[in-house]
Amino acid sequence: MKLLKKAIITAALAGGMLAVGQAQAANWLMLQGTEKPGQAARAKVWGFVQVQYQNDNSDANKAGGYIPPKLTPPNLSSQSAFNVNRARIGARGTGMPLDSNVNYFVLVEFGNNGITEPGGSFAKLTDASITLNHIPGARIRTGLFKYPGAEEGLQAIHVFDWVNFTDVSNQMLLERFPNQSYTPNIPPQSIPTGTDLQGFDDGVGAFRDVGIQVFDSFMVGAAKDWDLSYALMVGNGNGLNFSDNNSKKDIYAYFSAEKVFKGKGPFREGMKFLGWSQTGVRSYDGNNDGVSENYDRDRWGIGFKLKKSNYRVTTEYMSGDGMIMVGVANPSFGMGPGAGKPGKPGNGLLAEADGWYLEGGYRIPKSNWELDLRYDTYDRLKGDKFEVEFKTWTVGAQYFFNKKTRVTANYASRNYEAINFPSGKGPNAQLDGVNGRASIQLTHIF
Amino acid sequence: MYKLLGKRALVLLAMLSFGLASVGHAAEIKTDKPFATKKIVLQISDPNPFKQTLVLNVASNLLKAYGSENIDIEIVAFGPGLRLLFAENVNKGRIATLSSEGVRFAACKNTIRGMGKKLGHPPAINPTAVKVSAGVSRIMDLVDAGYILIKP
Repeated sequence: MKLLKKAIITAALAGGMLAVGQAQAANWLMLQGTEKPGQAARAKVWGFVQVQYQNDNSDANKAGGYIPPKLTPPNLSSQSAFNVNRARIGARGTGMPLDSNVNYFVLVEFGNNGITEPGGSFAKLTDASITLNHIPGARIRTGLFKYPGAEEGLQAIHVFDWVNFTDVSNQMLLERFPNQSYTPNIPPQSIPTGTDLQGFDDGVGAFRDVGIQVFDSFMVGAAKDWDLSYALMVGNGNGLNFSDNNSKKDIYAYFSAEKVFKGKGPFREGMKFLGWSQTGVRSYDGNNDGVSENYDRDRWGIGFKLKKSNYRVTTEYMSGDGMIMVGVANPSFGMGPGAGKPGKPGNGLLAEADGWYLEGGYRIPKSNWELDLRYDTYDRLKGDKFEVEFKTWTVGAQYFFNKKTRVTANYASRNYEAINFPSGKGPNAQLDGVNGRASIQLTHIF
Repeated sequence: MYKLLGKRALVLLAMLSFGLASVGHAAEIKTDKPFATKKIVLQISDPNPFKQTLVLNVASNLLKAYGSENIDIEIVAFGPGLRLLFAENVNKGRIATLSSEGVRFAACKNTIRGMGKKLGHPPAINPTAVKVSAGVSRIMDLVDAGYILIKP
């Protein structure tokens, strides 16, 4: 109900903006969902490649074996690996260049990551959408695309300033979908792992859904320098999968207000405030009785981003209620006594979580270097005996060979702790020994 | 007979003169910059979206280089390049700015007609633009009048 209220307020705020002038493509909703009127190509082929090396310095569990946070994603089979984690190619434009009222966006993932690794896909369609721009103030986008939500998920990944997501985004927002039937948890594995620690049958949701979205953006204010955007979306709530596994639909609402300083595109300078919510239902045999039950999955968040001159600061708070994943090795959504027992301690199907992050970057003047710093925290299973706090400091540096090519180096210092258990007991028997993780990634956009 | 021929010759001469005068009138270029020492016509007929930005950049840079009073610029759009002068074009702000500095924009009527057939209705054209019967003939007229043709 609270989420519905938030959605209504967001929609009402957005509705009040319909009478003012339209913005150019200058925010994620517009950049990804529209083309420049009168200028779009019939088919602009584009994409990007990211190659990375990650090294995890974590220690094995005291009882032996490793858990996913101590191994390199997405294969979770070793503690260091080279990987082509993203290789995407696509096309966008307008099929009939004379008519700017219709545009499309198609993108395919060939890299090895959470989208493709579970299930062993060679490639996966991540975006296939058509936008109709006929109604002033109410553009319509339909198909498979990024749903309106948190800045960390909605922003274009090829300009993301970090190698890995924050824990709150990775665990709470980047959805792992319940398997068709109850699936037991996977115990810690030795290296090389004999069993795939990735317990989910399908790839991650990749902050995407199949559905229909109404959205637009408007420049307001005396100097037309405030960019107000809204989006309302209805989707399957089943990520990159084309079908829905229940009749319940997910509802997404988004609103942002940005004071624009200068520039355009993904590197536009401005000060943005945003809020979003999503509510849906997932079907899963969470209690292992051979029958699927419905579980609510609600998320909401607020955020702020400032980008000016050589500085960048972003902070977001996110909250989740229901369908809280407790690890990719735990497809039951429960751990310990909570495995297969919704509502019991250690089970995330009916639990809550929240988290926030603060990150920033400083581009050194007259150089190609940028220095980055991020702190993120995630409180999983809030108020539960098996509550775990994930706290991470990440330092980073980026070197820009040119506007389309950069190398990103990160070192993450992680402190994961089940706060209701002493060291070595309960979840800490596995979380003890989670140490730093170093990563370096080369990105080239074409 | 000679009288008759003479009359016909006179009529023919008159018609030719009228025709030439008409041609001369068609080639007459109205400009608000009588003291301009440089006269440039920029052609855009390319579907490449980047060319739209390029032709506007060239006009802008020429104004900066010579001063708006000293250079007379007309941008003629035809074929796929006419999209630059669509009313909704993303560059309409830049077009308005250049127009305020004296840059003229010409839109080809032949292209408008052709695009109208494909769209089912004529495309809305930027009100800053003047519609000319044919983009190519407009360029020829401008060249005849001493303009230098540049196709970025």
